[in-house]
Amino acid sequence: MNKPKLIFALLTVLSLSIVACKDDDETPSPAAPTAGTVTLEITNVAGTVNVDETGATSYINSSGESFTVEKLKYYVSNVRLYNGGTLVYTMPESYFLVDESVQTSTKLEIPNVPAGSYTSVLFDIGVDSARNVSGAQTGALDPANNMFWTWTTGYIFFKIEGKSPASPQADSSFIYHIGGYQNGNNTNAIREVNIDFTGDSLVVNGAREAEIHVFADVLKLFSTQTNISIANLSLQMAPGVNALLIADNYANMFTFDHIHN
Amino acid sequence: MMQPGFKNKEMKKNRLLISFALLILIGFTACKKSEESGSQVYFYIPDGFPEPVYKFQNNPITPAGFELGRKLFYDPVLSLDSTISCGSCHQQYAAFAHGDHNLSHGINGLLGNRNSPPMFNIAWFPNFMWDGGVNHLEVQPLAPITNPVEMGESMSNVLLKLKRSSTYPNMFKQAFGSDTITTQATMRAMAQFMGAMISANSKYDKFLKGEASFSTLEMNGLQLFRTHCESCHKEPLLTDMSFRNNGLDANFNADPGRALISTLPQDSGLFRVPSLRNIVLTYPYMHDGRFKNLNDVLNHYTSGIVQSSTIDPMFASGGITLNAQEKSEIIAFLNTLTDFTFISNSRFKESQ
Repeated sequence: MNKPKLIFALLTVLSLSIVACKDDDETPSPAAPTAGTVTLEITNVAGTVNVDETGATSYINSSGESFTVEKLKYYVSNVRLYNGGTLVYTMPESYFLVDESVQTSTKLEIPNVPAGSYTSVLFDIGVDSARNVSGAQTGALDPANNMFWTWTTGYIFFKIEGKSPASPQADSSFIYHIGGYQNGNNTNAIREVNIDFTGDSLVVNGAREAEIHVFADVLKLFSTQTNISIANLSLQMAPGVNALLIADNYANMFTFDHIHN
Repeated sequence: MMQPGFKNKEMKKNRLLISFALLILIGFTACKKSEESGSQVYFYIPDGFPEPVYKFQNNPITPAGFELGRKLFYDPVLSLDSTISCGSCHQQYAAFAHGDHNLSHGINGLLGNRNSPPMFNIAWFPNFMWDGGVNHLEVQPLAPITNPVEMGESMSNVLLKLKRSSTYPNMFKQAFGSDTITTQATMRAMAQFMGAMISANSKYDKFLKGEASFSTLEMNGLQLFRTHCESCHKEPLLTDMSFRNNGLDANFNADPGRALISTLPQDSGLFRVPSLRNIVLTYPYMHDGRFKNLNDVLNHYTSGIVQSSTIDPMFASGGITLNAQEKSEIIAFLNTLTDFTFISNSRFKESQ
């Protein structure tokens, strides 16, 4: 048999089998539950209002300091779905860069989630140490996203920049670039976030809608564990002790809003 | 049915391959492991060298990848105003240091605060820069590209420029099978080029292999080196890769060195121990290029050590004792560390 004939024969067999599949699908039968996509939507807020990244809106932090937000970006990684206390699904290669200036980036798509019920989602703020020490990465971790320190290798996990009259800087800016992946050196800024659905269950089954809504409150960056005052800390752009104080706060800035089933 | 002409061509090709293979065998009998591509050996472990840190595991060297890396290395497009390339401050004749520059000027004539280090055997480096701040060969070029006083550019803009170019998309496709230009592909091409820079063919190397003999002066210098210098400038790489305070300053306000990265006070004033290979070519010396020549360096170690809280234990009770004759013997030895085949290797020249 020469090549074109062989290909023709194969195509024929293939099209027959496709037709056969279609026939099967049309037979009425109870559909088995199938894996689906879960959307984790994060809304960046300042207290009760959505974050305005244009810098036009002022907020008040726990030290009574007025501030604006001009940039807000952070890494969400290692997304895991739980049912009760049981880990059911870990999304492989889950690295998301949430960027308030890119609307689509606040909706994190988690594909291939096994059908079933879920009661909580866990994720990390930051990038695991392996990806910090393994050379040039790509996708959300491409250093071209400007979330990477080139002079002291490592990802910036969390970036917020804005203005505040409390800042001692000449241009009234405050800039927090938070990261650090090393354990031995008091610099690990990776923080786990646990979002419990407070008694609700997220049901995943095929194309069925399954959405988790979460708030990320920038006011909590200044307060949940340690009070951060812009007057005392206006620039933090390297790993270190002060970065960890802010990391401990961002660990607690995410709260459950609701789920859509 | 195979055509006779085809067979002939195939035989010719085979013969050619065999002769190439023989050439490789003759040229690289010292190799333990090779990063080969077709008939060309790009990377090997010289006799006596340890296992490299960068093993090209996810980034095997190919002729197209290496060529792309070479083009990028010499292309000022990586800088903000297209005036500075990697090769501007890393010149082959100076073993890829910046010849006769204590500090280097970047875009707009801006001056950095550290001496441009040479580049060779960098596949053996666990980290890079005078302070070790860069932890992987594949992210090393990002530091000078984004440093505001060096190339002053953002990687996102570099990618835009490369994508717009008439030549790069095809070169990326040849090298990595896709014309999608990412930071990862760009850095990996550069790692292929830079990682293949091996310098292990100095007179000293030939002496170790019994292929060259040392004069009495050089031999005495080698012995003095092994007594006084080798504990930090460890053979065969001639550095132990550590960070040390070699007594340059009493305080480190001008440049805290390793402490900038580690944030540890005990690391203040510590800098990478440089390799002494090709040392004659890489003047001036020290992290800030303060010493113009090797005499100045040796005089520092004999009579210029400044004590401070983080001084290396080696110098805690002062410097090294050497008389004038011994200094000239050490310098004679240091002269045997120049690898002329490395600095003239056309593979590492800017392609024409």
